[in-house]
Amino acid sequence: MKIRIWGARGSIPAPGPRTARYGGNTSCVQVTLSDGSVLVLDAGSGIRDLGPTCADAERIHILLTHLHLDHIQGLLFFAPFFQPETKIVIWGPPSPGRSLRDRIARYLSAPLSPIEIRSLPAKVSFRECPADEWEIGPARIRAAPVSHRGPTLGFRISEGAASLCYLPDHEPALGVPLADGDPAWISGFALAERCSLLLHDCQYTDEEYPARVGWGHSRLSDTLLFARRSEAERVLLFHHDPLHTDAELDLLQRRAGEHWVALGGPPGELAMAIEGSEIQLRADGARHADDPRLARS
Amino acid sequence: MAIATEQKPIELILARSLLDSLSTPGCLIDLEGTLVYYNEAVGKLAGISFEETGAMPTAQWSETFGPFDEQGRRIPFDEHPLTLAVRDGRAGHYVQRFRSADGNDFQVAVSAIPLVGTTGFEGALVFFWPARSQ
Repeated sequence: MKIRIWGARGSIPAPGPRTARYGGNTSCVQVTLSDGSVLVLDAGSGIRDLGPTCADAERIHILLTHLHLDHIQGLLFFAPFFQPETKIVIWGPPSPGRSLRDRIARYLSAPLSPIEIRSLPAKVSFRECPADEWEIGPARIRAAPVSHRGPTLGFRISEGAASLCYLPDHEPALGVPLADGDPAWISGFALAERCSLLLHDCQYTDEEYPARVGWGHSRLSDTLLFARRSEAERVLLFHHDPLHTDAELDLLQRRAGEHWVALGGPPGELAMAIEGSEIQLRADGARHADDPRLARS
Repeated sequence: MAIATEQKPIELILARSLLDSLSTPGCLIDLEGTLVYYNEAVGKLAGISFEETGAMPTAQWSETFGPFDEQGRRIPFDEHPLTLAVRDGRAGHYVQRFRSADGNDFQVAVSAIPLVGTTGFEGALVFFWPARSQ
């Protein structure tokens, strides 16, 4: 499974020279399976740059963790939507009220959008993620609701011995003692448990978090504690705050590395997510050389 | 790597966080009727903390705490008006007697609210109030 980060920023795109190194696009991660199947995790602004690279794909699966704007704002700018022969399946969280299509149509309709879903040339279908594991190509997909504001899913994608856990917007420490709490009561724990790679929300520093408790995002120390408790093999810190410059993320990375080692984390297995970087997870569990752009702690 | 943890539904996780923040006595019952959590205020009423008991299956907590009717008869869980209400997707309110861990009987009003997540019924959130004479 090949994983490419097309957007690692949270909340709102943050373009400009002060964020160029880590990237300013909002959440979007491409997962390419061993048979060539393409999964797209979230449709933040990063999906715009992904579009032209999958022009030849006959079918694309877009898995949305939730429908906050920073996770769907790129939908209309995804080039394959304008290819009549392309089949696009959009998966997302179920809701007791309106269908997934209707909820997304609130954004892809007037007055917010000049084009409506029914006008998209591609063959687009919508599916609410089932509670049970399902398969896409050679991968098994597991979705589960996690602690964030509004209906929000986390995903675990497994192919052979390789597993990716994607929790971009997640506040598992809200009212729960992460250090010694029963894992069954920690949001997202089973999704992340012993995964090969965990992409996890790390929007805030520990100093910023007290004024933002309950906003649905994690501080550095909680992210690292969650990663250690769940025994994730490797960790990418994700959903960078739009106010954090490259210099501030460099500092966060240094602090993360120190904290990670203090928690007993294996050196070299923690890194900041960087737009444009790639990681390969082999189905037999063996390791590939890393993308040199990943600044590992 | 395989997943070993049997994860609680997010609705129960968030409800437990709420209970931890409340001084109102409250507990959580899951789909099977297991008492999966009660807060510190319930611990005071029951005479024993959750840390001491842990989760309790229906038979165990019924044997320990009750509930009992006014004549002192044990009310079977599956026949309890609140169980019936919650399983029917309704909230319920009922006055009954409990027995604390140190053997003292006391009367209390109980409100039970079904917890229905996106995938269906997950259990009940139960609150306890001082019983008022009619």
